[in-house]
Amino acid sequence: MDMRFAVVANVALACVLLGLSTGCSKNKKSDGEYVIPTGAVDIENPFGDGMGLDGIPVGAIGGRFEDMCDRVTDITFAPIYFAFDSYALAPQEIAKIEQVARHLQSNSRHVLVIEGHCDIRGSNEYNLALGENRALAVRTHLVHLGVGPERIQTRSFGSEKPAVAGTGEAVWRLNRRGEFALYQK
Amino acid sequence: MVVVFVLIGVFCCGSAQAQGGGGELLGRVVKEGAKKDAVSLSGLNVSGQNGQLFLTTLKRNLELSGWFQIAGAGAGGGITVNGSAADTGGGVQSNCRVTWGGGQSFTWARASQGTAEVRRQAQELVDEMVRRIRNETGIATSRITFVNRMGSNHAELYVCDADGQGMMQITQDKVALVGPRWAPNKKDILYTSFTKGYPTVLRHTVGGARKTVANFKGLNTGGAVSPDGTRVALILSFEGNPELYVLDYATARVIRMTNTPHGVEASPCWSPDGRSIVYVSDTSRSPQLYLLDVASRQSKRLTYTGSENVNPDWSAKGEIAYATRRGGGYQIAVMDPAKGDASARILTGAPDRSEHPSWAPDSRHLVCSDGSTLYILDTLGDPAVRLINVAGSWISPDWSK
Repeated sequence: MDMRFAVVANVALACVLLGLSTGCSKNKKSDGEYVIPTGAVDIENPFGDGMGLDGIPVGAIGGRFEDMCDRVTDITFAPIYFAFDSYALAPQEIAKIEQVARHLQSNSRHVLVIEGHCDIRGSNEYNLALGENRALAVRTHLVHLGVGPERIQTRSFGSEKPAVAGTGEAVWRLNRRGEFALYQK
Repeated sequence: MVVVFVLIGVFCCGSAQAQGGGGELLGRVVKEGAKKDAVSLSGLNVSGQNGQLFLTTLKRNLELSGWFQIAGAGAGGGITVNGSAADTGGGVQSNCRVTWGGGQSFTWARASQGTAEVRRQAQELVDEMVRRIRNETGIATSRITFVNRMGSNHAELYVCDADGQGMMQITQDKVALVGPRWAPNKKDILYTSFTKGYPTVLRHTVGGARKTVANFKGLNTGGAVSPDGTRVALILSFEGNPELYVLDYATARVIRMTNTPHGVEASPCWSPDGRSIVYVSDTSRSPQLYLLDVASRQSKRLTYTGSENVNPDWSAKGEIAYATRRGGGYQIAVMDPAKGDASARILTGAPDRSEHPSWAPDSRHLVCSDGSTLYILDTLGDPAVRLINVAGSWISPDWSK
């Protein structure tokens, strides 16, 4: 394999392992090429059935809390709400994030998945990406408050899992949200 | 360039005719916008149930092709289909000769078993007629995949023929499913699935197995196979926030194509030559279309008109269809990417709130959704045809091509 790509992959690996992936990406990303470290690549079945892109870049795949940890359902947090087509954190939502940060800081075995959601309007493919950015915005603030980034993962449902059915702003504003799901290692 | 001008010219005429003709929109096939050649089927003798099915399918697909109309009983047609389609007990045997202007003709002889194969045989004959008589790519043997949104975190994948028949449910997952796209082999469908509780990109062979294409941390979506089948465009967030990537099987690399720390990307679609990708990005603060040159990894903004421009789909002949938000709901627009959206034309006659257009293999028709059902639109001016008559939330159609 080309050394240049190996180096690039290692830089990305370092970012991920140090828990700086968000920080790295905000300022300076690697040049964004990753080698798939498998031998023969079969286009019809490149990585084996059900295996996905295992191994590239190490740390970016696998290790999902949903697969590794037990869901904690007896502790819940209030959702974070967003404006239309926005992933900016509104000032009145910050206190709710601070509450989650305090919980994580005093419960070291708990880890968090932030679930990003959108209202039903607009392209559902775009909403899936927007929901991820909403979850990441909450994640960034939790990291800013001192929570270890390795303890926070994200998943977006876009507009596929509304909290409230129906139409109109009274419904939509409750569906533009970030939800918190606690897991225990 | 000449082709585009001709298309626009014909389109304008077609619209005027459609308004004058006032074609019926729903239920049955009424295609009277663009000029058509009359086909006489009175010399085709059919027998039994399967013969009738062959004839019914032949008629519907000739009309849906947009190039033909069925001549009334007793009236002559410029095109004649003479011969027979005989029920063989479980199948059909067709033997016919298709004749058109200046004494040109071809013969057709096929045998098939089973209802789906009887229909398929008629669809193949229609595509052959479109190819021989009009020198165009037919749509009758193509298929459409789409999603039925059944509730919160519940959607299932479906496939039907281009005439709306032969509808099949493909998944039984009872979780969300987003953005199905045919692979160019016309057998596999890529989509974003929540079967694991978070989004991953799967590749599903219709009637067969499925494999995971992407399962990184964070978001995995937007799977779209390149025309040569060697690369997959993906939207991934494992580096920090959603970006457009290309997974290149030939060089075993995943390559990031965008760098938008404050924006997200969605809905990548390859150009027919595989050199460019049109996609959605909100770096301008609203979702707009951008054009990526894959080799240089340079992108430029394509759309400036409309508060949102989403769901791009590139035709085999080089035009991009998309959903544009101007005022309240979305409308379907078509543009020449070399000219940008100043050259875009809005397709008239589409239902209100139409979105998610996908080109047919003929680069003339489009399928779209109004949020509850699917419609076939015609860029040459035929009225919209409703494709699905079953109640549901039928969305996100993708036409194999």
